[in-house]
Amino acid sequence: MPASNPQIVTTILGAIIVLVFFGVLFLGMLRYYNYRRRQAAREKREMQAIFDQQLTQARLEIQEQTFTYLAEEIHDNVGQLLSLAKIQLSSFKEEETIDFPLLHEARENVGRSLQELRDLAKGMHTGHIRAFNIRQALDDEVQRITRTGTIAISVTSEGEEYRIKDDTQLILFRIIQECLQNCLKHAAASNINIGFTWFPGQLRIRVRDDGKGFDADRTLAQPTGLGLHNILNRARLTGGSGVIQSRPGEGTVVTVQVPFE
Amino acid sequence: MEIKYYQYFQLFSLLLALICRKRLNSFSLGIMIPILILDNLTEILGSNHLSVFHTRGNYFVYNIYFILSTPLFFLLFASMLDGTPRDKRRLLGSGVILETFLLINYFFIQGQTEFDTFSAQLICLACIILSCLVLTRLAVRKDDESGLLHDPVFWINAVLLLFNLVSLIVLGMHKFIVENKLEIANLNLYRAIMPAANAILYSGYSYAFLLCQLQTRK
Repeated sequence: MPASNPQIVTTILGAIIVLVFFGVLFLGMLRYYNYRRRQAAREKREMQAIFDQQLTQARLEIQEQTFTYLAEEIHDNVGQLLSLAKIQLSSFKEEETIDFPLLHEARENVGRSLQELRDLAKGMHTGHIRAFNIRQALDDEVQRITRTGTIAISVTSEGEEYRIKDDTQLILFRIIQECLQNCLKHAAASNINIGFTWFPGQLRIRVRDDGKGFDADRTLAQPTGLGLHNILNRARLTGGSGVIQSRPGEGTVVTVQVPFE
Repeated sequence: MEIKYYQYFQLFSLLLALICRKRLNSFSLGIMIPILILDNLTEILGSNHLSVFHTRGNYFVYNIYFILSTPLFFLLFASMLDGTPRDKRRLLGSGVILETFLLINYFFIQGQTEFDTFSAQLICLACIILSCLVLTRLAVRKDDESGLLHDPVFWINAVLLLFNLVSLIVLGMHKFIVENKLEIANLNLYRAIMPAANAILYSGYSYAFLLCQLQTRK
């Protein structure tokens, strides 16, 4: 059938071209899919690196704050008590009769110093953030701040509490610390509420103060608002999000929402 | 001795495979060497059948090639798929079934002197399916910095896929092409298409072997 040969040849060639086209298309699609996959993996690795870096920074900041707190406590509290005990003990002279009430008072001062040092040593333990959950670490922090008597801080919790990753806890703790520091330094607030709301798979932390407030949008748009940007960046690094709401004269609300497994 | 142009590509890929044999083993592609030896031997015997076997037809050479090469290709795919022992057993079981059909076809259905188109089509189909599986698995699993184009397994399967898509039609219709004298540019359709497809296939292999030599498995 020579007359139909060209048609058959064309049909066969057409079929081959179509098949090869689909083959090449399949290879192209696989390559594109793999490219997207590798890009996602690279972004994940970069995020992890930033997260690790932030985690290290958070640890260093906590360490630095702990040292500052220790130095202040030793100087202002333990140092004072021991100085007093030394003065009291110096007043004793060998030839004079012993003033037992004074001796008793000196002994009490040394005992209180010892107790203070024990408490400090407990707080200095590097694992104390990990050993307790974020609520316990926060309670210590709140106690430390409220001891000054200038500000009232309340911590509330709603819903069933879950265990979240240590690294995430540390970052969240640093976020709350940053918020508290901002309140103490700039807000002139008299009340702060830290609210934990536990949802299934998600934790919302809200730090609310009744201070003088500020224009949040404007401050966030400026490069000087580094502390606020830090709060938002750290919230993002935990896989969550953060919102800062504030207006002059209306206090400030910082809301951080993070997912957990 | 007659050597056609695409056979130089074959010989070159075999030479490269032998040079890079250590690297091929590290990529679990060592089985490519016996496959290429068999390919080269088949083509040399097929091209010089008159002087070697004193026969007019060379189809029996290719029919035997189908029977001998199929287990090797299944071993190659088993190592490239890198699946669980169960997956490997399934794959090799399919290979045994296919091989059984090839033997039945060779001895009882299409015979030894006729070109076994059924065998050719089945092998092409199996190769298309398996190379698609390997390529998909590679695309899904590979997430290191080097892309698919830098992976020798990708190139081997890509050229195998394209070659078998062409072969599926050309070899499947071989008898029809010969009987109806289907030609393109005064050349038998089979002889016009297959050498070019072979040249592309063996160039792809050669490139894959070079990639093996240039990198180490991660």
